[in-house]
Amino acid sequence: MKKDETFMPKILAFLCNWCSYAGADLAGTSRSQYPSSILPIRVMCSSRVDPLLILRAFLNGADGVLVAGCHPGDCHYQEGNYYTRRRFMMLKKVIEGCGLESDRLRLSWVSASEGSKYARVATEFTKKIKELGENSAKNEIFL
Amino acid sequence: MIKPAASSEKKGAVLSIKTTIQDSIRNLLKKGMDQGVFDAVLIPMRVPAGDSFSYVLIKDKSLLNNAVALPPIMSVQGAKAVSSVTRLGNGTMKIAAVMRPCEIRATIELTKLDQVHVENMTLISIDCPGVMPILDFIREPEKAIKLFENATKSWDDTIMRPVCQICDKSSMIAGDLHIGTLGTKKDAFFIISNSKKGKDTLEKLDIPLNGNIDSWQIKVKENAEEKQKKRKKTHKDLKTKIGHLDNLLDTFSQCINCHNCMRVCPVCYCRLCYFDSDKVKHPSGEYLRRAKEKGSIRFLPDTTLFHMGRMMHMSLSCVSCGSCEDACPMSIPVAQIFSMVADETQGLFDYVAGRSSGEPLPLKTYKKDELHEVEDAHD
Amino acid sequence: MTKALKLTKNTEQGVREFVKFLLEKGNVKGVFTLKKINQKGSVAYSLITTSDELNDAVPFYPLMPTNAGTLLSRFTLNGSTTEPIVAIVKPCELRAFIELIKREQGSLENIYIISSTCGGVYPLKIVAEETIEKNLSQYWDAVKKGEMNENLRPACTGCTEFTPYTADITVDLIGHNNLDKECVLILNTKKGEELAKEMKGEFLERELDKETLKKFYDKRDAAKKKLFNEINTKMKGLDGLIEIFGRCIGCHGCSTVCPICYCKLCEFDSSDSEYKPSTYESELKRRGGLKVPPGTIYYHLGRLAHMGISCVGCGSCEDVCPVDIPLSIIFKKVGESIQQIFEYIPGKNIEEKIPLLTYEEEEFTEIEE
Repeated sequence: MKKDETFMPKILAFLCNWCSYAGADLAGTSRSQYPSSILPIRVMCSSRVDPLLILRAFLNGADGVLVAGCHPGDCHYQEGNYYTRRRFMMLKKVIEGCGLESDRLRLSWVSASEGSKYARVATEFTKKIKELGENSAKNEIFL
Repeated sequence: MIKPAASSEKKGAVLSIKTTIQDSIRNLLKKGMDQGVFDAVLIPMRVPAGDSFSYVLIKDKSLLNNAVALPPIMSVQGAKAVSSVTRLGNGTMKIAAVMRPCEIRATIELTKLDQVHVENMTLISIDCPGVMPILDFIREPEKAIKLFENATKSWDDTIMRPVCQICDKSSMIAGDLHIGTLGTKKDAFFIISNSKKGKDTLEKLDIPLNGNIDSWQIKVKENAEEKQKKRKKTHKDLKTKIGHLDNLLDTFSQCINCHNCMRVCPVCYCRLCYFDSDKVKHPSGEYLRRAKEKGSIRFLPDTTLFHMGRMMHMSLSCVSCGSCEDACPMSIPVAQIFSMVADETQGLFDYVAGRSSGEPLPLKTYKKDELHEVEDAHD
Repeated sequence: MTKALKLTKNTEQGVREFVKFLLEKGNVKGVFTLKKINQKGSVAYSLITTSDELNDAVPFYPLMPTNAGTLLSRFTLNGSTTEPIVAIVKPCELRAFIELIKREQGSLENIYIISSTCGGVYPLKIVAEETIEKNLSQYWDAVKKGEMNENLRPACTGCTEFTPYTADITVDLIGHNNLDKECVLILNTKKGEELAKEMKGEFLERELDKETLKKFYDKRDAAKKKLFNEINTKMKGLDGLIEIFGRCIGCHGCSTVCPICYCKLCEFDSSDSEYKPSTYESELKRRGGLKVPPGTIYYHLGRLAHMGISCVGCGSCEDVCPVDIPLSIIFKKVGESIQQIFEYIPGKNIEEKIPLLTYEEEEFTEIEE
């Protein structure tokens, strides 16, 4: 597939309030460069992210979805991210099992102090999504 | 509110068919969009796999090239599509909806039930030869398309749903406009207006209402009378077949309680059906008590109650579209039975479901002096 | 070695007599099993309380009008039964019931379960075609020989979970040539032993014939792989999904008959899934057109995400679909791939928590890469 240099992906990023949102913020204040493809959505905990939200995002045309939370063991609500991890594994299988590109979905643990990690993940993920190309669901009529 | 024009008042126009009737309809709709008469069109389109048709709300005019005003099947009842778009309000788009007469009638019934809002919609119906059972299409789409094409030319209903074969309302006008394909000269069709909105729409499209639609009315009346005869006989036979409790129970004995019939029915709109609610979920002791009384009960019981209850709930608005029977996995003649009962319940009040949005639902109104025959009937 | 009870009757008659005995002795107050419910021979699950009515019971009939897991859940939804009953159900139905119990949708208390190694069921359309009686001898032939039957529900053709895990009493049908002459009730649990102890018959030691079952398992496994591969060739990308689900009419029959889908008001029937007029308008601006009602692919993917973890592969979904979408294979395939992540077999062990409702502190570390 021809790589479209002008394709700026739309990547929804669900960031947990206590760790990864703060981490993303830190990336900003530290002036770490990362692509403007990321559209952040703050949630209180990564486990708030209902798999249905991710499915909706894809079917509405999001090119990629990133879910970021606290490192396992550090969840502000003690256990949330353990459930996130399991749900994520499950959703990946659903997407894969239906013949869709599960690489468009990524989970990352970013703590409040890991601004540079956030920037790195965002950059890597954007590159990956650019390779995968635009999500055709954007313009689909028969969804 | 759509006030139906009286028969003699119905005004029509005669338009010519340059290529096919489908093309002519498409061009008309395109013209409407070009001129801003419509912002969008709700009309069936063939699905990418080619094995079915779906209603599509079209804003991009070029999609109209693939729209089909009269598809061989009814996958989703048109009124359900209208409800999906307008249940929560009118929106700002002016929409032209092209459907079969029974789908328009169901839409009219849903206006009375607050499930659709059609103030911004122009309802356009078309003479209908019937609809094929959906599996007949899915199994061999190309063959089915040819069969349907031929059946439309000859107005032959043998390949259609059983309820379509006895439908005497297949040219009934209940919406704003109607496309008449019967009784026309070669390469011509009628557009008939049935409401102020319809009349205004045609005016905006520069279509003068000065055509003579007598030949259409004559043909329609002829067809309807023939169908009415057939209908009477079929219902008489059906009543014998399912009459008496044993026969009724046998007919529904295969029912697996999937409730598909209720779910595809355009009139059954309840988000939580009574027959899915807690009211029918009894404690184990209650089931055991009933089982002990009779020696055994089917589990889950009350299958026939579901069907008769549904009849009681919706038969006054049943438009005999037949979607229920298409959806039944056990091939129970649901539509035939419900349609027959609906004739009787609607007949009681001289009511025809969807005939006019001005007619209130029979159970939401009354006359002080009526139906004395049911009072103290055994005095 | 497990205790078993042998009756010198053909298997179906033996089971009938056994449950009659239980009813007459008062060990149970009701029998839940498949039964011929009218002169036409229609078969449906029934709750039977008299011996006479039991004459029409057909416990191992190759039909599943409704998944019995749903029915047992409905029976015990408003509280466990205070009076004991015995239920004769198929392995997947039992597993579905266990999964529902984990979701507080039923109770096993006072319910004795009889199950069997299962030869599968026919698709429901065989009822409308009125050919099931004709097929019965061919069906039992295949079961007795431990051979595949090509006319079953696709879900059954590819089913490797034909041995029940938690039944109190198991009847081993597959690969047993003498089903016409003897009925062997394997008493798996203490409950099962207690239930059978006063029945007249020969008590002996018997296990499931593991070798025969393994041979059958291999045949079924090969068939499953074939079915999964076939559907995989069609499931390539969004276009593939649109092709497969394009004819879906949104009746949600699949969800209604699915034993695991128990929600009173499904998410996809709720106002959450309704489009406002403004949503339509913005969608149309972007796409130019939108299928109405929308959200077909969303519904199926969403249902997979919600119930895939507990899918028992019964195939009821595909049977009820008015447009013949190969649902059971898709849901079975994706369901199994989810279950394999957690090495979970739905309904196998009632003590095992549903994997998405629990966790280990150290697991799936690879997910971050």
